[in-house]
Amino acid sequence: MVIVMEEGATEEQISRVVDKLMRLGFDIHRSTGVKHTVLGAVGGKIVDTSDLEVLDGVKEVLRISSPYKLASRAFKPEGTQIKIKDVVIGGNQVVMMAGPCTVESREQVEIIAEKVAGCGVRVLRGGAFKPRTSPYSFQGLGEEGLKYLRAAADRQGMLVVSEVMEAAQIPMFIRYVDILQVGARNMQNFNLLKELGRLNKPVLLKRGPAATIEETLLAAEYIMSGGNHEVIICERGIRTFETYTRNTLDISAIPVIKKLSHLPVIADPSHGTGRRDKVPPMARAAVAAGADGLLIEVHHDPDNALCDGAQSLLPEQFKALMDQLKMIAAAISRAMI
Amino acid sequence: MDISDWREKIDAVDAQLVEMLNQRARYCIEIGKIKRERNMEIYSPEREAEVLHNVVRANNGPLDNDAIKRLFERIIDESRRTERLAVETESNRDTA
Repeated sequence: MVIVMEEGATEEQISRVVDKLMRLGFDIHRSTGVKHTVLGAVGGKIVDTSDLEVLDGVKEVLRISSPYKLASRAFKPEGTQIKIKDVVIGGNQVVMMAGPCTVESREQVEIIAEKVAGCGVRVLRGGAFKPRTSPYSFQGLGEEGLKYLRAAADRQGMLVVSEVMEAAQIPMFIRYVDILQVGARNMQNFNLLKELGRLNKPVLLKRGPAATIEETLLAAEYIMSGGNHEVIICERGIRTFETYTRNTLDISAIPVIKKLSHLPVIADPSHGTGRRDKVPPMARAAVAAGADGLLIEVHHDPDNALCDGAQSLLPEQFKALMDQLKMIAAAISRAMI
Repeated sequence: MDISDWREKIDAVDAQLVEMLNQRARYCIEIGKIKRERNMEIYSPEREAEVLHNVVRANNGPLDNDAIKRLFERIIDESRRTERLAVETESNRDTA
């Protein structure tokens, strides 16, 4: 960390900053310049730079290393592989997670599960508690939905990923799902993150629509600092000035996060684009960019879907996409499952 | 005298500097022990200012006063660290 003092900062002000830094466990390298004194602070614990910036005489504080530790690549250079039964996320295989946006009925999820399982998919997604923007939209079937989801997945030998909305739901969720998903708008629900940090089930953390990569990794850090290191990051589109697509799927976030962090990174092209015909190209792009998996919505009757039908792929479209993804994964020496 | 001759002389001076810096560090360690016994602060901005004042006064060049101050800032940084380590080692020994 580098602390730049104001031009004309007094010795007393500088001493006070040095004193504070030493109490935080840093070694100081002082460099008195012609106009500015610069203090190099080495080795202390991670601090909030704004605590130092408010001190008298301090012009700015520059952080050299990242504010997160457990989530950083340096913590685990070989990368994290999350193993659930016989599925490994973060290894050589690119893992498809597909299914309906929402569990609407037992029959609906059974049909879709069978279709995607037929393409070799190992993880079934489905929402039982839906964070709808409007309170008048369908809110999900609740625990009943989780039961249908689990049953359909078990019948096909698949794992289950589903979104948990609040900490109080966690005990119920761990009975039915293999991966607990944190929705984009819950990325900074720190209470929820802390509770998920106490589990030993993997968490799928969606990047918030206006969250920087650093904020996303700090959210992962919250979960990890509770003891749960099995976190999967999901890029699902960010808000930009362009409103043609629902969000802008930030493909570049995939290689960036893979460099900054050891955690697996997947992409959700369904929410990222909001349009059925844009999902396949972005799915292909995400795999080519190095994503460890995809989260894709599939529905056999999307026009009558209760949620996000416009971005759901028909089963035939999904199968065609899987065939293409297998080739793209192979092109970068990986396997699509 | 050629470059290599001057470099030899520099090497000889460097060896002396290393010995003198280590001597200086030994004194810092002793001070660290006393400070620990008396539960005193390691960081002493007034003493650091005094050191810089002294060396500037003793300076006859060709290095200018600012250069001397910058060099001694490095030395003071390392002394602070040496004292800290001395204090920590002592407390580790106490709790061991």
